[in-house]
Amino acid sequence: MAQHKVYTDAVTKYVTLPLENAVNAMLTSKYNPFYYHGALPQFFLWVLFLSGLLLFAYYIPTIDNAYSSKEAINAFTSVDYITNVIPFGVVIRGIHRYAGDAMVLTIILHALRVWFTDRYRQYRWVQWFSGIVLLLVVFFIGQTGYYLVWDERSLVLTRMTVTALEAIPGVGPALKAWFINGETISNLTLSNYLFIHIGLSFGLLFGLWMHYVRMARPVLTPPPVINYALMAILLAVVFMNPIDMGQMAVLTSQPTQFEIDWFFLWPYALLLQWPPMTFWLVMAAVTIFFSILPLPFLVRGASGTELPPVEAAEVVLTKCTGCSLCDKDCPYEAIEMVPAPAGSRFKLLATVLPHRCSSCGLCVGACAFDAIDLPNNQDAEVNNKIKALLAQS
Amino acid sequence: MTKVMTLICERSCDLDQYVDEKSQLKDMPGCYVVKFPCSGMIQPLMIEGALKNGADGVVVTGCQIGDCYYREGNKMLRERLLGERPPGLKKNVDRRRVLGLWLSKVQPKKLLSDVKEFAGELEKLGPAAAAADKK
Repeated sequence: MAQHKVYTDAVTKYVTLPLENAVNAMLTSKYNPFYYHGALPQFFLWVLFLSGLLLFAYYIPTIDNAYSSKEAINAFTSVDYITNVIPFGVVIRGIHRYAGDAMVLTIILHALRVWFTDRYRQYRWVQWFSGIVLLLVVFFIGQTGYYLVWDERSLVLTRMTVTALEAIPGVGPALKAWFINGETISNLTLSNYLFIHIGLSFGLLFGLWMHYVRMARPVLTPPPVINYALMAILLAVVFMNPIDMGQMAVLTSQPTQFEIDWFFLWPYALLLQWPPMTFWLVMAAVTIFFSILPLPFLVRGASGTELPPVEAAEVVLTKCTGCSLCDKDCPYEAIEMVPAPAGSRFKLLATVLPHRCSSCGLCVGACAFDAIDLPNNQDAEVNNKIKALLAQS
Repeated sequence: MTKVMTLICERSCDLDQYVDEKSQLKDMPGCYVVKFPCSGMIQPLMIEGALKNGADGVVVTGCQIGDCYYREGNKMLRERLLGERPPGLKKNVDRRRVLGLWLSKVQPKKLLSDVKEFAGELEKLGPAAAAADKK
C-alpha cells in the first residue's frame, strides 16, 4: 500500500497546477479559491454557527405529545414552526443544512489537495491526524442534526444507530444508553442529541486549535469577495432546493424509507447492507488506513525508495544575536527564543525544535547574520556556488 | 555578455531540461541557475553578493503567491524585496537589476521568456560593475 510520490506528482503536474494556473489567469492568485482551500470549510463553520444560533432560539428538544395533535409542542412542531411560520425560517434551515454539506465537500477537497501536493506528512502529521478526527466529528455532528428534526427519518436513523451501537461487544449497551440517554427513546433522548450537536460543534473549535497550533499565521479567512461568492452559491442552492421535512415521528410506527443526504448519512446506506460489526470494523480500518498514511515507510519516491527524512535547521550559536526575526518568520513555529547563556552579549538565543522543522530554509532567508543554516545546504556554500558560477567564463 | 543569476525554488519552474551541466541555461549563455529548497531561503545578502560578484542582474523565482509548499516562503521573500519585511535589500542596490517572478512548476517557458526580456533590459542598463564604478 505504499504511496508512490511519482503518481501524485503527475497529478499535480498535469491536473491541479494547470487548473490552478487557469484560475489564476482569470482571478489572479489573490482571489484563487484553491489557495484558500483550508479556509473554505472554516467559513462554512461560521455560517453554521450563526444559522444554528438562530434555529436554536426556536427549537424545542422534546418528543412530548407526539401522538396527540398538530398543536403539540415538541421538536417536530418547533421545526415545523420555524419552517412555515417564522419569516425566512425555511431559508435559515436551508442555509444550515446546505452549509453543512458544503463544509463536508470543502473538507474533502482540502484533504485531497494536501494529499496530492504532498503536504500531509512529516512535520505536518499533527494537522493530518487532527484533520481526520475533525472530519469524523463533523460527520457525527451532521448526523445528530438529522436526528433533531424528529421526523420519520430521525426515528429510523435513531433506531439504526441504536442497533449498530448495541452490536459492539462489551461497551454496546452502555453506548446505547448514552446515545438515547436511557433505555428507551424519551424526551431525554432529544436533549442529549441537542447537547451532542451543539457541544461537539464547540468541541470542533478545540480540534481546530490542534489543527492550527503548529501553523504560524494560519489562513482562516479567504478575501471577502470569495466569502460573498460562496454565500451567493449557498443561497442559490437554498432557493433552488428548498428543504422540507417528513411526517412527525411516531414511536409506535415503523417507517422504513427515507431520503439520504450523501454527505452525512452515507454510513446508514452501508448499515443497510452490512451487519453492524462489519460496518464498525470497516470504519475502523478506513480510519486507521488514513491515519497512518504519513508514516515514512509508506511513502516512496520515484525509484521506490524511502524519501529522505527532514534535516532540521541549526543555529550557529556564535553568530546568533537573538534578534528573533527567524522566530517571527518560521511558518511552522519551529523556532523558540530562549534566554542567552550567561556571558553572552545578547539577551536571547534562537533554538530549533527539530520535530517541527520542515527544513525549508525560510529562517535562513530571515537571518541577516548568517546565524542559522540547513545542515545539507549551508548559506556559505550557496554563496560560494554563486560566486564560482559568476567567476567562470 | 550579460550575466544573469537566477535564484529559484526547486518546486517552482522545472528547468531541468533547459539547464546544462554548468548550471547555465542552454539557450541563454551567461544565465546561471541556483536552486533552493524554497524561495524563502534566498537571503537579500545573496542577491547583493551576486550583484557584487559580477552578475548584471538577479532573477528570484518562487511558486505562485499563495501556493508555497512551505506555506509562506514566496510571500516573505516578496515582502523582503519590496522592503516590507526585514531583512531587506540595501538601499544602494539598483532595484532595476532585481526581478521577482512567481511561477508554478509547469510554467518554465514563461520564465525563459521573462528572463530573456529582463536580460534585454539589463543590456540597455550596461554592466553592473561599470555602474558601480561611476558612483
